[in-house]
This record gives sequence, structure tokens and C-alpha cells, in this order.
Amino acid sequence: MSPAHLEGYLVVGAVLFALGLVGFLTRRNMIIMFLSAEMMLQGVAVNLVAFAHFRGNLGGQVLVLFIVAVAACEAAIALALVLMLFRRRKTLDVSVWQELREPDQEPIEDEGTLEAEEKPEDFQHLTPAGAEPPARKDTEEVSHV
Amino acid sequence: MFSPEMCLWMIPFLPLLGSVIIVTLGRRMFPDRCHVPCIAGAIGACVCAVVVFVGVISETTPLRFGREIAWIQVGNFSANFSLRADGLTAVMLVMVTFIGSLIAIYSAGYMEVDESYPRFFAAVSAFLFFMTGLVLANNFVLLYACWEGVGLCSYLLIGFWYEKPSAAAAARKAFLVTRLGDIGLFIGILILWHNFGHSLEYDDIFVNVKAQYDAGVLDHNLLYWACICLFIGAAGKSAQFPLHVWLPDAMEGPSPVSALIHAATMVTAGVYLVARCTPLFGLAPDAQLLVACTGGFTALLAALIAVTQTDLKRVLAYSTLSQLGYMFLALGSGVVVGEHKLAGLAVTAAIFHLFTHAFFKALLFLAAGSVMHAMHDVIDMTKFGGLKKVLPITHWTFLCGAAALAGIPLLSGFWSKDEILATTYEAWHVSGGAASGIYCLLFFTALFTAGLTAFYTARAYFMTFHGDEKLPPEAGEHPHDATPIMAWPLMILAVGAVGVGIVLGPTHLFESVLEKKWITAQFAHLASPHSTNLLLMVTSSVVACIGVGIAYWLYVADPSAAASVASRMASIYDLSRSKFYFDEIYELAVVWPMNAFAFICRVVDQYVLDGLVDLFGQVPAVFGYLVRPVQNGLVQFYALLMALGLAGFLLSVLLR
Repeated sequence: MSPAHLEGYLVVGAVLFALGLVGFLTRRNMIIMFLSAEMMLQGVAVNLVAFAHFRGNLGGQVLVLFIVAVAACEAAIALALVLMLFRRRKTLDVSVWQELREPDQEPIEDEGTLEAEEKPEDFQHLTPAGAEPPARKDTEEVSHV
Repeated sequence: MFSPEMCLWMIPFLPLLGSVIIVTLGRRMFPDRCHVPCIAGAIGACVCAVVVFVGVISETTPLRFGREIAWIQVGNFSANFSLRADGLTAVMLVMVTFIGSLIAIYSAGYMEVDESYPRFFAAVSAFLFFMTGLVLANNFVLLYACWEGVGLCSYLLIGFWYEKPSAAAAARKAFLVTRLGDIGLFIGILILWHNFGHSLEYDDIFVNVKAQYDAGVLDHNLLYWACICLFIGAAGKSAQFPLHVWLPDAMEGPSPVSALIHAATMVTAGVYLVARCTPLFGLAPDAQLLVACTGGFTALLAALIAVTQTDLKRVLAYSTLSQLGYMFLALGSGVVVGEHKLAGLAVTAAIFHLFTHAFFKALLFLAAGSVMHAMHDVIDMTKFGGLKKVLPITHWTFLCGAAALAGIPLLSGFWSKDEILATTYEAWHVSGGAASGIYCLLFFTALFTAGLTAFYTARAYFMTFHGDEKLPPEAGEHPHDATPIMAWPLMILAVGAVGVGIVLGPTHLFESVLEKKWITAQFAHLASPHSTNLLLMVTSSVVACIGVGIAYWLYVADPSAAASVASRMASIYDLSRSKFYFDEIYELAVVWPMNAFAFICRVVDQYVLDGLVDLFGQVPAVFGYLVRPVQNGLVQFYALLMALGLAGFLLSVLLR
């Protein structure tokens, strides 16, 4: 691979990283922030792969494998956390979590809060494959049977 | 096991063990039996003391222990845990442990109603440990440590009933006033260490001083100041003018404490110290003169105050002051003029008086305690009277002690006081110039004081036990006499107070022990033989009898006479009654300026120093206030800062 080719990969990696960073800093939806963070990781991973290929050894590839593994674990934990946070406040807006500030600081008010999504009336039960999921009320009646 | 050398360290160790047992186990496991370890320790120490005494008499050299056990070693300064026993120490040990045992037994009966029973016996045991250590010490550092230890125990025991404000105040006063003297002692020790051979062992210092004296290179001025400093320490502990004010107040403690610590043993530590340092004082005649004057003046002053006090224990306290003054007078009279070397006579007289005084004064205080016990803590002699029939045992034992103190012929006080008078008389006749005049004055002061002593002792006796029977309402209908556990120590001490003088005095047993086992070894060059002065004996007996007679006339034969005499000498009477206003003078001259100074210090501390500290404290606070907004709890803000920080770092790496 020539240096010119390498540059292209690096630009892609940098763009991915920058987009992820900007997304992380500006979006307030916690899931989006999480995705942005993942994007930054992928930007780095692209870099590593490119360098590995450029230098002709496998060091970078190994690191990328690590990144993928870490990202998988991170996804599991982060999504679980997001779920717990959501259950507390019924919103994904990260700016409602400001309690860890200094005691005499005022909370920062952003322009408008994210509207809580329409609260789903009911979560549907898992169904046997291929069957039409029944509504919850119906299930209750069915379960008695 | 019972070799004298072993007993040497067991004497302080046994009471210490008793104290530790009481503090660790006794308080929880047998709080009602806490007197047992204390008494056992005291009696064990007493047995060991007797073994040591016999050992000292039979050996030719002093007993020593632990010369090699290093304690402190800094540069060329070293101090060992070394103990020694010569004639002086042996006498003191026997006296301290014997009286201590009796008083511990008495206390078991006296303190029975008190809830802090274990604390009392722990402190008494600790006191015996320190006191025996003090007399056993072979160097000044160990002596000083024990010296402070007895001061501490004295503080703890004066303030034993610390809920009582007057007791707490008395304890503080005692501690602070003696502390003042201790500073003097400490400076004296430093002078000795620095100038006389960089050693603190008694023998080394004494030998060095004598060598310098013989070689004619002794700095007399320096020795004089060393002696004065030592004497200041002694005066503080032994309550001599002007540091005497703490002892009368110390009577706030329980009566056995007054008997043991503030009459028989601890207060004699000063006398012991000066006697121990006779080889130094003998070479500093000016210091001796000061000691004699202080002693004589204190004896007279205290006797004058004692004459009008109505608190029985205070009369005894002032008489203790007075008798200690006598001892110092004797020590100060040990002058050496040409062929006449009185140091041996002087210390023998002082220590003999110390010995007999311990018996009769401990007895008097214990008897006073017994009166107090029966009268339910009333001790004002005007509130009771005629207790002869009510408290027969207390009456007879008190009479023995009082007669001994008054110097009635053939009782113990007579023999020892007579020796002191004889010493002063000799000093008057052998010294020349102004010193002769001063000793002459001191002799007559002492003689007059002997009369006063007889008078106030007899007065206290007559007011308490004679006249119409009068009981304070607190005592109830049937006051009880001393219980057996209290009566036995009283009777043993009474026998001692009556007999110890005639056994040891005219037979010269006491003198020969001190002479052979201490004086000849330590300062033979300051001592020469002496003879008994019969004329003096007769004079002092007559004076004592006159004193008792006047008291009898005033308080028994013609009870109204006392008041009329008092009103005729109203100004002197009031002066004596109010203790010559010493407390008030000190309050004005020392306490008040100190309080003012303390107030100024407090203001400076509160407003200047605290202000400065607060100002410096504000610096981080302001800084924190500036950067605090950074911590706003917003995740994305933190992320932004991290990104910016990383960017800045990368930029700096790139642009370098």
C-alpha cells in the first residue's frame, strides 16, 4: 500500500472519529451518545487496520480485535445502564442527570428538553415464532385458560 | 530471693505491682477488695525495707543495684536506673513503707463508704512506688522523675473528691506551686551536671566537688547557686516560705492522704534532698544560712497561723509546715567553722526529727480523720467539743500524738526537737560575724516556736476532747469510734509516737546508723563528734510545758479567757486568723497579673493569630470558588473538557 492510499484510510478514520466526537458532545439522547462513542471507536479501528496493512504486520489487527471485544462488553453494560436510567426518569435526555455537580452550582438548563416519547401502552410478550403477537389484555385472558 | 540487693528493687516494684493490679483487674473484678493489693504491696515493701536495713547495717559499703541498666543515653549525657541504699536511704525506706502500710490499712476502714475505692488505692500504691523510688535513686534524673511522680500522686489524691470545686482548686494549686519549685530543682541539676563532671550520679558529683574544693579551684558562686536552686525545689515540695501556700489547702484530700503524703512522707522529700546533698551544702555556707533562715521563718510563721485556726486539719497542716521548717533550720545549721564541723550533727537532727515527726504527725492526722469520720465530715473545732468520752480510742491516740508534737519530755518529739535546738545553738556559738547573730536569732525563734507548738497542739487537743460535750447535728445521736481496722494503726502509731524517741534518741542508735553508714562515707570532712546539752533539754521542756499550761488555762480552766485575750490582741489575732493574708497577697501579686496576661494572650490569639490563620484559609476557598463551575455534573461538559485537554496536549506535542 502506498502512502497516498494510506492517507485516504486515515481521513476516513479521522472523519469517523470527529463525527463521533461531535455527536457525543452535542446529542442529548443517551442511546445516540452511546452510538457516537462507538463511532469514535470505529474511527480508531480503521486507523489501526490501515496502519497494520501499511506496515505489513498484524499488531494493529490484534488491537482492533481487542477494540471489538471491548466494544461488545461496553455495549452490554452501557445499554443496561441506559435502560436503568430510563426507568428512573422515563426519558433518555442526559441533561436530567446533573446531581453530581458541586452543591452550590445551579443546574444547567438547555433550550427545551427532549420530549419523552409516547409512553407505550403495553409491552408485548414474546410470541411463538410466526404467530401474530396478541395484545396484552387478550393474553391475560388467554393465560387463564 | 531475699538477698538485700534483690529487695532493693522489690521495694518500689511491689507497690507498683499492686497499683497495676488494682487499675487493670481490681476495678472490674473485685472493686470492694481493692485495698488488698495495696496493703499487700505496702507490707511486702516494708518487709523488704527491713531486710535492706539489716543489710545496710551489716555491710560495709552501701548496697547498689542496676548501675549498668542504661536508661537515657544522649551524647555525653547518661542516666542509669541505678538504686542505692545507705544509712539515710534505709532509714527513709523503713519509715515510708512502715507508715505507708499502716495508713493503707487504716484507709481500708476509712474509705469504705466511697464509691471510688479502687482509684484511691491505686493512687496510694503508685505514690509508695514513686516515694520509695525517690529515696532509692542514685542519680538526680531518677530522683527528679520520682519527684514529679509523687507530685502527680499528690495531685490525684488531693483532688480525689474532684466533684468538689474546692478540692479541685486545691489540687491545681498544689501542683502548680510545687511545679514552681521543681523548675528550681531542674535548673540546679543542670548546673551540677554542667559544672561538676558531666555526671548525675550522687557520688560522682560529690567527689568532684570535693576534689575541686581541695584543689582550690571550686567556683563557690556556682556551687552557691546550684544549692539555692536545689533548695528552691526542696522548698516547693516541703512547703517552705514563700511556696508554703499549697499545703494547708491540700487538706481537702481524704485524711489518710493528708497523713501519708502531706505530713509523713512526700513533704519530707525536700528535707531528704537537702540532707542527701549535704556534701554540697556543707561547702556553701551562704546557701546554708538561707536554708536555715527560710526554715526558721517558716517554722515561726506557720506556728503563729496555727495558733488561731479552728479547722482541726488545718492546725495540723500548719504544724506540719512548722515542723518541716524546723528540719530545714537544722539542715541549715550544719556549718563548718574551723575545727567545729556541725554537718553530721545537723543532718542527724533533721532526719531524726523527720523520722519521729512522721510517726506522730501521721498519727495526729489519722486521729483527726477518725474524728471527722465520727462527726460526719465536720472538722471545725468550734462545732464540737468534749469528745473524750464519745471517742475513747481516738482521744487516747490523739493525746499521744499531740504530746509528742508538743515536745513533752521523754516523748519522741522532745528528743528530736531538742537535737535541732542543740544544732542551732552550736551553730550560733561556733560561727563568727554576722552569721553568729543570725543563728542566735534563729535559736531563739526556734525556742519560741517550740512554745507556740506546744500551745497550739494543746489548744487543738483541749478544744476537741475537753470541755462540755458538744456534737454537730450532722453527727447524729451516737457517733461511733474508730472501727478495729482503723483503731489498730492508730494504736501502733501511738506506741511509735511515744516510744520511738526514747528508744532511738538517748541511746544514739539512730545517730550511729547514720553516722557509720552514711556520714563517714559521704562527708566525714564535714562532721565531728558532739555531746548532749542537758541545759537545753531542760529549757525546751520548760518552754513546752509553759505552752501547754497556757493552753490549759485558756481553754479548760477558764474558757472565757480565750476570747478576752483574743479581743485584747485583736489586730495580731486577725492577722494570724487570716493566715497573714498570704493567699490574698499572692492572688493580687501573682494570680491577678497572670490572669491579665492570659487575657491579653487570649485576645491576641483570638483576633490576631486566628485572623491570620483564617485569612490563609480563605486563599484556597477563593481559588475553589473560581474553578467550582467546572464541576457542573453534566456528562457532556466533562467529555468536552477531556476532548479539549487532549487536543491541547496533542497540539503541544505537535508544535514542539
